[in-house]
Amino acid sequence: MKLDIQGHSGCDIVIVHNDNELRIHKSTHDPNYVPRLINQANKQIEASKREYQNIRIPFIFEVEHTDRDATIKMEYIYSKNFIEYFENAGFEQIKYLIGAIKYFIDLEINASTIQTVPSCVLTDKMADVARKVSKNKHLQDDEKALELVELSKQVMNSVGDMVMPVGTCHGDLTFSNILFNGNNYYLIDFLDSFIESPLLDIVKIRQDTAYLWSTLMYGKPFDKVRLSIVSEKIDKAIDEYFSAKYEWYRKYYMPLQLMNFLRILQYGHEEKVITYLKQVIEGQLSIINNPKNA
Amino acid sequence: MMTLIVPIAADHSDYVKKLPQPFRFDDEGTMFCVKAITGLPMEEIKDIYFVILRDHEERFMLSEQLAMQFRKHNLKNAHVTILDHHTSSQAETVACAIRMNGIKGIVFVKDADCYFSTDEILPQNGVAIYALENLPIVDPQHKSYVAVDDMFYVTNIIEKRVVSHFFSAGGYCFEDADEFCDYFDRLKDYSPLYLSHIIYAMLLDKRIFRPIEIDNYQDWSVAVKLV
Repeated sequence: MKLDIQGHSGCDIVIVHNDNELRIHKSTHDPNYVPRLINQANKQIEASKREYQNIRIPFIFEVEHTDRDATIKMEYIYSKNFIEYFENAGFEQIKYLIGAIKYFIDLEINASTIQTVPSCVLTDKMADVARKVSKNKHLQDDEKALELVELSKQVMNSVGDMVMPVGTCHGDLTFSNILFNGNNYYLIDFLDSFIESPLLDIVKIRQDTAYLWSTLMYGKPFDKVRLSIVSEKIDKAIDEYFSAKYEWYRKYYMPLQLMNFLRILQYGHEEKVITYLKQVIEGQLSIINNPKNA
Repeated sequence: MMTLIVPIAADHSDYVKKLPQPFRFDDEGTMFCVKAITGLPMEEIKDIYFVILRDHEERFMLSEQLAMQFRKHNLKNAHVTILDHHTSSQAETVACAIRMNGIKGIVFVKDADCYFSTDEILPQNGVAIYALENLPIVDPQHKSYVAVDDMFYVTNIIEKRVVSHFFSAGGYCFEDADEFCDYFDRLKDYSPLYLSHIIYAMLLDKRIFRPIEIDNYQDWSVAVKLV
Protein backbone atom coordinates (compact mmCIF):
# COMPACT_ATOMS: atom_id res chain seq x y z
CA MET A 1 0.00 0.00 0.00
CA LYS A 2 1.31 3.43 -0.92
CA LEU A 3 2.01 5.77 2.00
CA ASP A 4 0.12 9.04 1.81
CA ILE A 5 2.90 11.16 3.24
CA GLN A 6 6.16 11.09 1.35
CA GLY A 7 9.35 11.01 3.37
CA HIS A 8 12.76 12.29 2.36
CA SER A 9 15.15 10.16 4.39
CA GLY A 10 15.53 7.57 1.65
CA CYS A 11 15.05 4.70 4.12
CA ASP A 12 13.01 1.62 3.24
CA ILE A 13 9.89 1.16 5.36
CA VAL A 14 8.40 -2.33 5.49
CA ILE A 15 5.48 -3.62 7.55
CA VAL A 16 6.29 -7.10 8.81
CA HIS A 17 3.91 -9.70 10.28
CA ASN A 18 5.49 -11.14 13.40
CA ASP A 19 3.19 -13.87 14.82
CA ASN A 20 0.01 -11.89 15.41
CA GLU A 21 1.78 -8.57 15.65
CA LEU A 22 2.72 -6.02 13.07
CA ARG A 23 6.13 -4.42 13.18
CA ILE A 24 7.83 -1.68 11.21
CA HIS A 25 11.28 -2.32 9.79
CA LYS A 26 13.03 0.88 8.82
CA SER A 27 16.29 0.24 7.04
CA THR A 28 19.06 1.84 5.03
CA HIS A 29 21.57 0.28 2.67
CA ASP A 30 23.55 3.50 2.34
CA PRO A 31 26.76 3.12 4.37
CA ASN A 32 26.88 6.91 4.87
CA TYR A 33 23.42 6.88 6.40
CA VAL A 34 24.03 3.92 8.75
CA PRO A 35 25.48 5.96 11.66
CA ARG A 36 22.66 8.50 11.28
CA LEU A 37 19.97 5.84 11.43
CA ILE A 38 21.59 4.28 14.49
CA ASN A 39 21.68 7.71 16.15
CA GLN A 40 18.00 8.16 15.35
CA ALA A 41 17.23 4.79 16.94
CA ASN A 42 19.20 5.73 20.05
CA LYS A 43 17.41 9.06 20.26
CA GLN A 44 14.04 7.31 19.96
CA ILE A 45 15.02 4.76 22.64
CA GLU A 46 16.10 7.57 24.99
CA ALA A 47 12.91 9.54 24.35
CA SER A 48 10.76 6.47 25.01
CA LYS A 49 12.13 6.27 28.57
CA ARG A 50 10.29 9.49 29.52
CA GLU A 51 6.56 9.87 30.24
CA TYR A 52 4.77 12.46 28.10
CA GLN A 53 1.07 11.94 28.89
CA ASN A 54 -0.62 11.70 25.50
CA ILE A 55 2.58 11.75 23.50
CA ARG A 56 4.06 8.31 22.95
CA ILE A 57 7.09 6.86 21.24
CA PRO A 58 6.91 3.57 19.29
CA PHE A 59 8.84 0.83 21.09
CA ILE A 60 12.06 -0.32 19.41
CA PHE A 61 12.55 -4.09 19.64
CA GLU A 62 15.91 -4.29 17.98
CA VAL A 63 18.51 -2.36 15.99
CA GLU A 64 20.50 -4.53 13.58
CA HIS A 65 23.44 -3.12 11.71
CA THR A 66 26.66 -3.77 9.83
CA ASP A 67 28.96 -1.17 8.28
CA ARG A 68 26.79 -1.15 5.18
CA ASP A 69 23.21 -1.72 6.39
CA ALA A 70 21.07 -0.87 9.39
CA THR A 71 17.51 -1.84 10.32
CA ILE A 72 15.37 -0.55 13.16
CA LYS A 73 12.62 -2.98 14.16
CA MET A 74 9.84 -1.23 15.99
CA GLU A 75 6.24 -1.33 17.09
CA TYR A 76 3.61 -0.74 14.38
CA ILE A 77 1.11 1.98 15.31
CA TYR A 78 -2.42 1.86 13.97
CA SER A 79 -2.95 5.49 13.17
CA LYS A 80 -4.10 8.31 10.93
CA ASN A 81 -1.92 10.93 9.32
CA PHE A 82 -2.31 14.53 10.42
CA ILE A 83 -4.56 15.56 7.53
CA GLU A 84 -7.06 12.76 8.07
CA TYR A 85 -6.93 13.48 11.79
CA PHE A 86 -7.51 17.23 11.42
CA GLU A 87 -10.28 16.66 8.89
CA ASN A 88 -12.21 14.74 11.53
CA ALA A 89 -11.05 16.24 14.83
CA GLY A 90 -13.52 18.11 16.99
CA PHE A 91 -12.43 21.23 18.84
CA GLU A 92 -11.64 19.34 22.04
CA GLN A 93 -9.27 16.97 20.22
CA ILE A 94 -7.36 19.95 18.85
CA LYS A 95 -7.23 21.34 22.38
CA TYR A 96 -5.72 18.06 23.66
CA LEU A 97 -3.16 18.07 20.87
CA ILE A 98 -2.11 21.65 21.68
CA GLY A 99 -1.78 20.68 25.36
CA ALA A 100 0.26 17.60 24.46
CA ILE A 101 2.68 19.55 22.26
CA LYS A 102 3.22 22.19 24.96
CA TYR A 103 3.71 19.47 27.59
CA PHE A 104 6.19 17.53 25.45
CA ILE A 105 8.30 20.59 24.66
CA ASP A 106 8.20 21.79 28.26
CA LEU A 107 9.53 18.38 29.35
CA GLU A 108 12.30 18.66 26.77
CA ILE A 109 13.11 22.14 28.10
CA ASN A 110 13.24 20.79 31.66
CA ALA A 111 15.53 17.96 30.53
CA SER A 112 17.87 20.47 28.87
CA THR A 113 20.19 23.05 30.37
CA ILE A 114 20.55 26.68 29.43
CA GLN A 115 23.73 26.97 27.40
CA THR A 116 25.44 29.44 25.15
CA VAL A 117 25.45 28.39 21.53
CA PRO A 118 28.34 30.28 19.92
CA SER A 119 27.52 32.56 17.01
CA CYS A 120 29.72 30.47 14.71
CA VAL A 121 27.22 27.58 14.85
CA LEU A 122 24.74 29.72 12.96
CA THR A 123 27.22 31.50 10.69
CA ASP A 124 28.99 28.24 9.77
CA LYS A 125 25.65 26.66 8.98
CA MET A 126 24.76 29.69 6.87
CA ALA A 127 28.03 29.36 4.97
CA ASP A 128 27.22 25.70 4.38
CA VAL A 129 23.76 26.63 3.07
CA ALA A 130 25.25 29.25 0.75
CA ARG A 131 27.71 26.67 -0.56
CA LYS A 132 24.98 24.10 -1.20
CA VAL A 133 22.73 26.66 -2.89
CA SER A 134 25.58 27.71 -5.19
CA LYS A 135 26.11 24.06 -6.17
CA ASN A 136 22.41 23.25 -6.61
CA LYS A 137 21.72 23.37 -10.36
CA HIS A 138 18.12 24.43 -9.70
CA LEU A 139 19.24 27.43 -7.64
CA GLN A 140 22.71 28.51 -8.74
CA ASP A 141 21.34 30.81 -11.48
CA ASP A 142 18.27 31.88 -9.57
CA GLU A 143 18.93 35.55 -8.79
CA LYS A 144 16.13 35.78 -6.27
CA ALA A 145 17.34 32.73 -4.35
CA LEU A 146 20.90 34.05 -4.30
CA GLU A 147 19.71 37.47 -3.14
CA LEU A 148 17.72 35.86 -0.32
CA VAL A 149 20.77 33.86 0.74
CA GLU A 150 22.86 37.06 0.86
CA LEU A 151 20.21 38.86 2.93
CA SER A 152 19.97 35.83 5.23
CA LYS A 153 23.73 35.91 5.79
CA GLN A 154 23.37 39.43 7.16
CA VAL A 155 20.67 38.23 9.55
CA MET A 156 22.71 35.26 10.76
CA ASN A 157 25.79 37.47 11.25
CA SER A 158 23.81 39.80 13.47
CA VAL A 159 22.36 37.13 15.81
CA GLY A 160 25.50 36.59 17.89
CA ASP A 161 25.82 33.98 20.64
CA MET A 162 22.50 32.40 21.55
CA VAL A 163 21.53 31.51 25.10
CA MET A 164 18.92 28.76 24.99
CA PRO A 165 18.06 25.31 26.38
CA VAL A 166 20.28 22.62 24.87
CA GLY A 167 20.18 18.91 25.57
CA THR A 168 17.24 17.16 24.02
CA CYS A 169 14.92 17.44 21.06
CA HIS A 170 13.09 15.27 18.57
CA GLY A 171 14.94 16.88 15.69
CA ASP A 172 12.21 16.77 13.05
CA LEU A 173 8.95 17.42 14.87
CA THR A 174 6.73 18.07 11.87
CA PHE A 175 3.15 16.82 11.60
CA SER A 176 4.26 14.21 9.08
CA ASN A 177 6.32 12.64 11.87
CA ILE A 178 3.36 12.36 14.23
CA LEU A 179 1.00 9.39 14.01
CA PHE A 180 -2.48 10.12 15.35
CA ASN A 181 -4.21 7.35 17.26
CA GLY A 182 -7.25 8.81 19.03
CA ASN A 183 -5.88 11.22 21.60
CA ASN A 184 -2.48 9.50 21.58
CA TYR A 185 0.16 11.04 19.39
CA TYR A 186 3.11 8.83 18.42
CA LEU A 187 6.36 10.51 17.44
CA ILE A 188 8.45 8.85 14.76
CA ASP A 189 11.53 9.65 12.69
CA PHE A 190 13.73 11.19 15.36
CA LEU A 191 16.63 13.02 13.76
CA ASP A 192 19.93 14.53 14.80
CA SER A 193 19.75 18.31 14.85
CA PHE A 194 22.48 20.92 14.30
CA ILE A 195 21.53 22.37 17.70
CA GLU A 196 20.01 19.81 20.08
CA SER A 197 17.51 22.30 21.44
CA PRO A 198 13.77 22.11 22.16
CA LEU A 199 13.58 25.44 20.34
CA LEU A 200 14.36 23.54 17.13
CA ASP A 201 11.32 21.35 17.83
CA ILE A 202 9.14 24.46 18.14
CA VAL A 203 10.64 25.69 14.87
CA LYS A 204 9.78 22.36 13.20
CA ILE A 205 6.22 22.15 14.48
CA ARG A 206 5.63 25.76 13.40
CA GLN A 207 7.07 24.88 10.00
CA ASP A 208 3.72 23.11 9.62
CA THR A 209 1.38 25.23 11.72
CA ALA A 210 2.57 28.60 10.41
CA TYR A 211 3.71 27.60 6.92
CA LEU A 212 1.67 24.41 6.17
CA TRP A 213 4.82 22.72 4.86
CA SER A 214 3.73 19.07 5.20
CA THR A 215 0.51 19.70 3.30
CA LEU A 216 2.65 20.33 0.19
CA MET A 217 3.66 16.65 0.30
CA TYR A 218 0.09 15.34 0.55
CA GLY A 219 -1.31 13.80 -2.60
CA LYS A 220 -5.00 13.26 -1.84
CA PRO A 221 -7.68 15.95 -1.92
CA PHE A 222 -8.53 17.45 1.47
CA ASP A 223 -10.38 20.38 3.01
CA LYS A 224 -7.65 23.01 2.79
CA VAL A 225 -9.75 25.65 4.53
CA ARG A 226 -10.39 23.48 7.56
CA LEU A 227 -6.73 22.46 7.74
CA SER A 228 -5.67 26.11 7.57
CA ILE A 229 -8.10 27.01 10.36
CA VAL A 230 -6.78 24.19 12.58
CA SER A 231 -3.15 25.02 11.81
CA GLU A 232 -3.68 28.69 12.55
CA LYS A 233 -5.28 27.81 15.88
CA ILE A 234 -2.43 25.50 16.93
CA ASP A 235 0.18 27.97 15.74
CA LYS A 236 -1.30 30.88 17.68
CA ALA A 237 -1.58 28.77 20.84
CA ILE A 238 2.03 27.55 20.63
CA ASP A 239 3.43 30.97 19.77
CA GLU A 240 1.53 32.73 22.57
CA TYR A 241 2.48 30.08 25.12
CA PHE A 242 6.23 30.09 24.47
CA SER A 243 6.38 33.85 23.78
CA ALA A 244 4.94 34.51 27.21
CA LYS A 245 7.36 32.10 28.93
CA TYR A 246 10.77 32.32 27.33
CA GLU A 247 12.95 35.18 26.21
CA TRP A 248 15.13 32.81 24.13
CA TYR A 249 12.02 31.88 22.16
CA ARG A 250 11.12 35.50 21.46
CA LYS A 251 14.69 36.29 20.49
CA TYR A 252 15.79 33.32 18.41
CA TYR A 253 12.66 31.75 16.96
CA MET A 254 12.58 33.85 13.79
CA PRO A 255 16.28 33.54 12.81
CA LEU A 256 16.14 29.79 13.46
CA GLN A 257 12.95 29.44 11.44
CA LEU A 258 14.66 31.32 8.63
CA MET A 259 17.61 28.92 8.89
CA ASN A 260 15.19 25.98 8.87
CA PHE A 261 13.67 27.06 5.55
CA LEU A 262 17.07 27.91 4.07
CA ARG A 263 18.14 24.35 4.89
CA ILE A 264 15.13 23.04 2.99
CA LEU A 265 15.79 25.42 0.10
CA GLN A 266 19.40 24.24 -0.31
CA TYR A 267 18.12 20.83 -1.52
CA GLY A 268 15.19 22.25 -3.52
CA HIS A 269 14.66 20.73 -6.95
CA GLU A 270 10.94 21.12 -7.72
CA GLU A 271 9.96 24.48 -9.16
CA LYS A 272 6.69 24.61 -7.19
CA VAL A 273 8.53 23.96 -3.92
CA ILE A 274 11.36 26.40 -4.68
CA THR A 275 8.86 29.15 -5.50
CA TYR A 276 7.03 28.48 -2.23
CA LEU A 277 10.27 28.45 -0.21
CA LYS A 278 11.44 31.74 -1.71
CA GLN A 279 8.11 33.36 -0.81
CA VAL A 280 8.35 32.05 2.76
CA ILE A 281 11.96 33.16 3.17
CA GLU A 282 11.22 36.60 1.75
CA GLY A 283 8.34 36.94 4.22
CA GLN A 284 10.53 35.86 7.11
CA LEU A 285 13.25 38.35 6.17
CA SER A 286 10.63 41.04 6.01
CA ILE A 287 9.43 40.19 9.53
CA ILE A 288 12.98 39.98 10.93
CA ASN A 289 13.90 43.34 9.41
CA ASN A 290 10.61 44.92 10.45
CA PRO A 291 8.70 43.00 13.16
CA LYS A 292 5.62 45.13 12.43
CA ASN A 293 5.19 43.02 9.27
CA ALA A 294 4.48 39.91 11.37
CA MET B 1 -35.62 38.83 19.39
CA MET B 2 -33.40 37.97 16.47
CA THR B 3 -32.80 38.93 12.84
CA LEU B 4 -33.41 36.35 10.16
CA ILE B 5 -31.21 36.37 7.05
CA VAL B 6 -31.99 34.27 3.98
CA PRO B 7 -28.97 34.38 1.63
CA ILE B 8 -29.89 33.72 -2.02
CA ALA B 9 -26.98 35.41 -3.76
CA ALA B 10 -25.27 32.43 -5.33
CA ASP B 11 -24.80 32.72 -9.06
CA HIS B 12 -24.73 29.93 -11.60
CA SER B 13 -24.46 29.79 -15.37
CA ASP B 14 -27.94 28.13 -15.47
CA TYR B 15 -29.46 31.28 -13.96
CA VAL B 16 -28.85 33.33 -17.10
CA LYS B 17 -32.12 32.02 -18.49
CA LYS B 18 -33.50 29.94 -15.68
CA LEU B 19 -35.12 31.24 -12.50
CA PRO B 20 -33.02 30.07 -9.51
CA GLN B 21 -34.77 27.28 -7.65
CA PRO B 22 -35.42 29.25 -4.41
CA PHE B 23 -37.50 31.78 -6.42
CA ARG B 24 -39.77 29.17 -7.98
CA PHE B 25 -43.22 28.42 -6.61
CA ASP B 26 -44.72 25.40 -4.96
CA ASP B 27 -48.20 24.08 -5.79
CA GLU B 28 -49.81 26.60 -3.44
CA GLY B 29 -48.12 29.58 -5.06
CA THR B 30 -45.52 30.10 -2.36
CA MET B 31 -41.97 30.91 -3.36
CA PHE B 32 -39.61 28.22 -2.06
CA CYS B 33 -37.34 30.78 -0.38
CA VAL B 34 -40.33 32.14 1.52
CA LYS B 35 -41.63 28.68 2.29
CA ALA B 36 -38.14 27.96 3.68
CA ILE B 37 -38.81 30.24 6.68
CA THR B 38 -42.44 29.43 7.37
CA GLY B 39 -41.58 26.69 9.86
CA LEU B 40 -39.66 29.10 12.10
CA PRO B 41 -41.13 30.67 15.25
CA MET B 42 -41.94 34.13 13.81
CA GLU B 43 -42.69 35.63 17.23
CA GLU B 44 -38.93 35.47 17.97
CA ILE B 45 -37.94 37.31 14.79
CA LYS B 46 -37.87 41.09 14.52
CA ASP B 47 -36.69 41.53 10.92
CA ILE B 48 -36.25 39.25 7.94
CA TYR B 49 -33.79 39.99 5.13
CA PHE B 50 -33.89 38.11 1.84
CA VAL B 51 -30.51 38.79 0.22
CA ILE B 52 -30.57 38.59 -3.56
CA LEU B 53 -28.38 39.62 -6.50
CA ARG B 54 -29.09 42.74 -8.56
CA ASP B 55 -28.57 40.69 -11.69
CA HIS B 56 -31.33 38.27 -10.67
CA GLU B 57 -33.52 41.17 -9.54
CA GLU B 58 -33.28 42.86 -12.93
CA ARG B 59 -33.73 39.65 -14.87
CA PHE B 60 -36.62 38.20 -12.92
CA MET B 61 -38.13 41.25 -11.10
CA LEU B 62 -37.77 39.44 -7.83
CA SER B 63 -38.36 42.21 -5.30
CA GLU B 64 -41.89 42.82 -6.64
CA GLN B 65 -42.63 39.11 -6.48
CA LEU B 66 -41.13 38.88 -3.03
CA ALA B 67 -43.21 41.86 -1.87
CA MET B 68 -46.34 39.99 -2.97
CA GLN B 69 -45.17 36.91 -1.13
CA PHE B 70 -44.59 38.96 2.03
CA ARG B 71 -48.20 40.22 1.79
CA LYS B 72 -49.53 36.72 1.13
CA HIS B 73 -47.76 35.38 4.22
CA ASN B 74 -48.31 38.47 6.34
CA LEU B 75 -44.56 39.02 6.75
CA LYS B 76 -44.68 42.71 7.68
CA ASN B 77 -41.08 42.76 8.88
CA ALA B 78 -39.57 41.25 5.71
CA HIS B 79 -37.16 43.18 3.49
CA VAL B 80 -35.17 42.57 0.34
CA THR B 81 -31.46 43.39 0.33
CA ILE B 82 -29.95 43.61 -3.14
CA LEU B 83 -26.24 42.95 -3.67
CA ASP B 84 -24.61 44.51 -6.72
CA HIS B 85 -22.20 41.61 -7.20
CA HIS B 86 -22.35 37.92 -6.49
CA THR B 87 -20.45 36.77 -3.42
CA SER B 88 -17.85 34.04 -3.12
CA SER B 89 -19.61 32.28 -0.25
CA GLN B 90 -22.79 32.14 1.76
CA ALA B 91 -20.80 33.55 4.68
CA GLU B 92 -19.90 36.61 2.60
CA THR B 93 -23.57 37.11 1.68
CA VAL B 94 -24.51 37.03 5.36
CA ALA B 95 -21.70 39.44 6.31
CA CYS B 96 -22.79 41.83 3.51
CA ALA B 97 -26.40 41.72 4.73
CA ILE B 98 -25.33 42.42 8.31
CA ARG B 99 -23.21 45.40 7.29
CA MET B 100 -25.58 46.88 4.72
CA ASN B 101 -28.49 46.80 7.14
CA GLY B 102 -26.59 47.65 10.33
CA ILE B 103 -27.81 44.44 11.95
CA LYS B 104 -26.82 43.94 15.59
CA GLY B 105 -27.33 41.14 18.09
CA ILE B 106 -28.60 37.66 17.33
CA VAL B 107 -28.73 36.51 13.72
CA PHE B 108 -30.42 33.39 12.40
CA VAL B 109 -29.30 32.29 8.94
CA LYS B 110 -31.70 30.08 7.03
CA ASP B 111 -30.82 28.26 3.80
CA ALA B 112 -33.34 28.96 1.04
CA ASP B 113 -33.31 25.49 -0.48
CA CYS B 114 -34.80 23.52 2.39
CA TYR B 115 -37.57 23.61 4.95
CA PHE B 116 -37.86 22.60 8.57
CA SER B 117 -40.05 23.47 11.48
CA THR B 118 -39.03 24.18 15.04
CA ASP B 119 -40.95 25.52 18.03
CA GLU B 120 -38.17 27.50 19.57
CA ILE B 121 -34.83 29.04 18.69
CA LEU B 122 -32.86 29.92 21.81
CA PRO B 123 -30.87 33.19 21.72
CA GLN B 124 -27.50 31.45 21.55
CA ASN B 125 -25.05 30.08 18.99
CA GLY B 126 -26.64 27.02 17.43
CA VAL B 127 -26.87 24.73 14.42
CA ALA B 128 -30.09 23.11 13.22
CA ILE B 129 -29.53 19.37 13.03
CA TYR B 130 -31.52 16.46 11.67
CA ALA B 131 -30.81 12.74 11.82
CA LEU B 132 -29.83 11.05 8.55
CA GLU B 133 -32.02 8.05 9.34
CA ASN B 134 -35.11 10.29 9.18
CA LEU B 135 -34.55 10.91 5.48
CA PRO B 136 -35.89 8.57 2.82
CA ILE B 137 -33.32 9.82 0.31
CA VAL B 138 -29.92 11.20 1.22
CA ASP B 139 -27.43 13.15 -0.85
CA PRO B 140 -24.49 12.83 1.56
CA GLN B 141 -22.01 14.78 -0.56
CA HIS B 142 -23.80 18.08 -0.24
CA LYS B 143 -24.20 18.28 3.50
CA SER B 144 -22.13 19.14 6.50
CA TYR B 145 -22.24 16.89 9.52
CA VAL B 146 -22.52 17.85 13.16
CA ALA B 147 -21.13 15.91 16.12
CA VAL B 148 -22.79 16.50 19.48
CA ASP B 149 -21.81 15.15 22.87
CA ASP B 150 -24.03 13.43 25.45
CA MET B 151 -25.12 16.73 26.97
CA PHE B 152 -26.03 18.08 23.56
CA TYR B 153 -23.18 20.46 22.91
CA VAL B 154 -21.82 20.74 19.39
CA THR B 155 -18.25 19.39 19.33
CA ASN B 156 -17.56 19.33 15.62
CA ILE B 157 -18.97 20.36 12.26
CA ILE B 158 -17.46 18.98 9.08
CA GLU B 159 -18.14 19.68 5.46
CA LYS B 160 -19.11 16.70 3.29
CA ARG B 161 -17.78 13.97 5.58
CA VAL B 162 -20.17 11.65 7.35
CA VAL B 163 -18.85 11.71 10.92
CA SER B 164 -22.19 11.73 12.67
CA HIS B 165 -25.74 10.69 12.01
CA PHE B 166 -26.74 14.34 12.44
CA PHE B 167 -26.36 16.62 9.48
CA SER B 168 -26.61 20.37 9.38
CA ALA B 169 -30.16 21.15 8.29
CA GLY B 170 -29.52 24.64 6.94
CA GLY B 171 -30.22 26.83 9.97
CA TYR B 172 -27.50 28.61 11.92
CA CYS B 173 -27.83 30.93 14.90
CA PHE B 174 -25.09 33.40 15.82
CA GLU B 175 -25.57 35.30 19.05
CA ASP B 176 -23.55 38.31 17.94
CA ALA B 177 -23.68 39.70 14.39
CA ASP B 178 -20.45 41.66 14.93
CA GLU B 179 -18.63 38.55 16.06
CA PHE B 180 -19.82 36.68 12.97
CA CYS B 181 -18.40 39.47 10.81
CA ASP B 182 -15.10 39.38 12.72
CA TYR B 183 -14.74 35.66 11.99
CA PHE B 184 -15.74 36.18 8.39
CA ASP B 185 -13.09 38.89 8.00
CA ARG B 186 -10.48 36.56 9.48
CA LEU B 187 -11.36 33.72 7.10
CA LYS B 188 -12.59 35.54 4.00
CA ASP B 189 -9.46 34.83 1.95
CA TYR B 190 -10.01 31.07 2.17
CA SER B 191 -11.91 29.36 -0.59
CA PRO B 192 -14.29 27.60 -0.72
CA LEU B 193 -15.45 29.02 2.60
CA TYR B 194 -18.55 27.48 4.16
CA LEU B 195 -20.54 28.56 7.19
CA SER B 196 -19.38 25.30 8.76
CA HIS B 197 -15.79 26.60 8.59
CA ILE B 198 -16.81 29.77 10.44
CA ILE B 199 -18.59 27.72 13.10
CA TYR B 200 -15.61 25.35 13.43
CA ALA B 201 -13.22 28.30 13.88
CA MET B 202 -15.54 29.63 16.59
CA LEU B 203 -15.67 26.21 18.28
CA LEU B 204 -11.86 26.12 18.34
CA ASP B 205 -11.99 29.48 20.12
CA LYS B 206 -14.28 27.99 22.78
CA ARG B 207 -17.52 29.52 21.54
CA ILE B 208 -20.37 27.27 22.64
CA PHE B 209 -22.84 25.99 20.05
CA ARG B 210 -25.97 24.00 20.84
CA PRO B 211 -27.87 21.86 18.36
CA ILE B 212 -31.28 23.16 17.33
CA GLU B 213 -33.70 20.27 17.05
CA ILE B 214 -36.00 20.45 14.08
CA ASP B 215 -38.84 18.49 12.48
CA ASN B 216 -40.34 17.98 9.04
CA TYR B 217 -37.10 18.54 7.13
CA GLN B 218 -37.42 18.83 3.36
CA ASP B 219 -34.42 19.18 1.06
CA TRP B 220 -35.56 20.75 -2.21
CA SER B 221 -32.13 20.70 -3.77
CA VAL B 222 -32.23 16.88 -3.75
CA ALA B 223 -35.83 16.87 -5.03
CA VAL B 224 -34.88 19.11 -7.95
CA LYS B 225 -31.93 16.88 -8.92
CA LEU B 226 -34.05 13.74 -8.73
CA VAL B 227 -36.69 15.31 -10.99
